[in-house]
Amino acid sequence: MTQSKKRKGILGGLALVAVAIGLYWSLAVAPPDAYQGEVQRIMYLHLPSILTAYLSYFLVFIGSGMYLWKREKRDDLLAHAAAELGVLFTALTIIEGSIWGKPTWGVWWTWDARLTLTAILLLIYAGYLMLRSLIDDENRAASAAAILGIIGFLDIPLIHMSVYWWRTLHQPPSILRPDKVPWENVHPAMLTALTISFVGFLLLYFYLLSLRYRVGEMRQEIKALRLERGA
Amino acid sequence: MGAWGFVSLAYGIVCGTLVVYWMFLKRRYRQAEAEVDRLRSSEIIGSDDKI
Repeated sequence: MTQSKKRKGILGGLALVAVAIGLYWSLAVAPPDAYQGEVQRIMYLHLPSILTAYLSYFLVFIGSGMYLWKREKRDDLLAHAAAELGVLFTALTIIEGSIWGKPTWGVWWTWDARLTLTAILLLIYAGYLMLRSLIDDENRAASAAAILGIIGFLDIPLIHMSVYWWRTLHQPPSILRPDKVPWENVHPAMLTALTISFVGFLLLYFYLLSLRYRVGEMRQEIKALRLERGA
Repeated sequence: MGAWGFVSLAYGIVCGTLVVYWMFLKRRYRQAEAEVDRLRSSEIIGSDDKI
């Protein structure tokens, strides 16, 4: 077994353990919310999912910018891998939010500013993946996708600020707020569940990203070997 | 559906989706790995033939 495969295996194992502990804390240890009751437990998935998606789009932003600047394939591979995972975690965020919204707001979906902007974020990066598959020339596809990857990232500050700028049904942040530190605002057991769950999501994310990045690398290798053989 | 029903639905969908994606990614990984190995070994055979 190569060193890289061993590292991936260790990361995968750590992710599995952290996710399992996170699930235990979220479902069995953390107390129910005083107002929302048990349904609030969905937040231990919802918040880590969207933060992981934001991290993923940040990597798309960095990878895309570096690719346009240096033209190195590895930056494009990173942006592509991160975009795919970003779409997955954004879709999960919207589904979790919708399941939480039904018992809390009485609707599965509403055209609230934050929800709409998050749906737009999903469409932008789903478009990013489609764009790559629609353009035959690999370098042109990478450049076009990089521009979209950078522009799409501008939606994230809009999503974060939307609850302050517009009158929305979505509540303002409980954790990432400028006026209070998290432990003043959230019960310690709830904050612990959220932290463990977030660490689990992060480890799982980096494990999946390492696999997806390697798939991209191997695809490049296959193309190069086929060209060599054809030449 | 009760509160725990909504919680189970959310956790079930998230865990299920992540497991399915991981399996799908593993399959892509193994297929690409096998193709690289195949091309590399045929390249070695090809270069041996030239000798």
